[in-house]
Amino acid sequence: MRRLGFPLSRADARSLRAGDMILLDGEIIITAGLPTVQRLVACVEEGRDPPIPLQGASLFHLGSYSQDTPAGGLEILYMNPTTSTRFNPHMPRLIRHFGLTAVGGKGGLDSASVAAMAEVGCVYLSFLGGGAPLHSSAITAVREVAYPDLVAHYRLVRLAVEGLGPVTVGIDAHGNSLFASLQAEAQARMAGILEGLAASRAAG
Amino acid sequence: MPITYEAVKRLSAQLYDWSLRRVPEDTKLGLRRALEAETNHGAQQVLKMMLGSAQRAEAEDRFICSDAGVPVYHVTLGTAARLEGDIKAAIRDGFDELVATIQPPLLKHVTNPLTNERGYRGRDMPLVTWDVAGGADWVEILCQPKALGSGRWAALETFSFPSLAQIEEYVTKVVLQAGSQHCPPVIIGVGIGGSFDVAARIASKATMRAVGSSNPEPVLAAMEARLLRAVNATGFGPMGTGGDTTALAVHVDYAAGHGYTPVAVCFNCWINRRTRARLHADGSVERME
Repeated sequence: MRRLGFPLSRADARSLRAGDMILLDGEIIITAGLPTVQRLVACVEEGRDPPIPLQGASLFHLGSYSQDTPAGGLEILYMNPTTSTRFNPHMPRLIRHFGLTAVGGKGGLDSASVAAMAEVGCVYLSFLGGGAPLHSSAITAVREVAYPDLVAHYRLVRLAVEGLGPVTVGIDAHGNSLFASLQAEAQARMAGILEGLAASRAAG
Repeated sequence: MPITYEAVKRLSAQLYDWSLRRVPEDTKLGLRRALEAETNHGAQQVLKMMLGSAQRAEAEDRFICSDAGVPVYHVTLGTAARLEGDIKAAIRDGFDELVATIQPPLLKHVTNPLTNERGYRGRDMPLVTWDVAGGADWVEILCQPKALGSGRWAALETFSFPSLAQIEEYVTKVVLQAGSQHCPPVIIGVGIGGSFDVAARIASKATMRAVGSSNPEPVLAAMEARLLRAVNATGFGPMGTGGDTTALAVHVDYAAGHGYTPVAVCFNCWINRRTRARLHADGSVERME
């Protein structure tokens, strides 16, 4: 399995294909908050810098619980993905403006994001939901926490990770989305599925 | 001996805590069976990670998911049980005590739907449904924390004198709407008939049944088996990235109604959080799952 350094380089992003599984090393930025993403969009609209630089970053829909340590640092007690589709209206703008190379969470993003990702060279990574014990143990350091006024999982957090994953490339930088293709396939299969149900009912 | 406020409070807190750190045995068995049958390589990897995550949560006493959901309890009161104190308040106070003491702390998920502000408390929290068991001298509490990931995709539609074909087609339609998003493989509850609220409650209760169990009524057992095949033929797979395992179980139940027939469909994500225990008249606590 490939281990890639993060933030992901644009060349690495373009080298991935939907369905690939990889491990992550390096630095990622996370938030599970819609209000957070709305603040980032406001930064873009008003020409302000976000509190953590996002140019070329890897920004994931992961929620975490962080707390202060006695030594004056921060530690993450647990981390896990959240559903990405609720960020659909905002992600194309963030992907294009900041040239993000990787986004992710769980459940995928819609076609507008798929198009933005193909334009800039960005992939969507699907994390295991209910994977907090695995994801949390891959965190090696908390680099930065922004928006401390928000509830813990909404804060913008920059983390160092080692061996995070495996994660599945759900959307690649070439316009391929597992989420879209599986939805289309399921719809195409539906007539046959309903016939199967009818045959089973008839067989009693 | 009466079943006291203190006993209910303590158990309400414990059940919630336990549910966050352990995938039920029947669900792990369902995942292992799914792994044996799964033909998609990526899906096999995801199922292995799920089992690994469950194992690690238990071994290291960690939360399986960061989203602890909101507190949902289903309480069955035996009619012969003697109660002492405000049992309803005991459940609320039990959750408050859990929030104050649990390590690691819970994230704030209780949401005011009018403002979207989040905290640990809110109107009608915890969400409790009450049932009665005739003649029993115990109180049974089932805790099933619910979160957005799977809760968001529940749906209900009301039909007039529907055929089984219409009912089953509706279930597949709701499965398509949820697609990849509810942390599959899911446990699907289907409630048919009764009234608007009763159908929803039946569906919700159906998700509480053990994975691998069948409905005792042959007609419903057959419907469950063919709906499970149908759902798994969609191909969404574990975490919705493709595979044969989109659901671990479909549980169906019904109530008589009036020809207008609500059909409710709801989902539990793969970790299927569920704990249950009984408080007995002799003061003992029987942990059931």
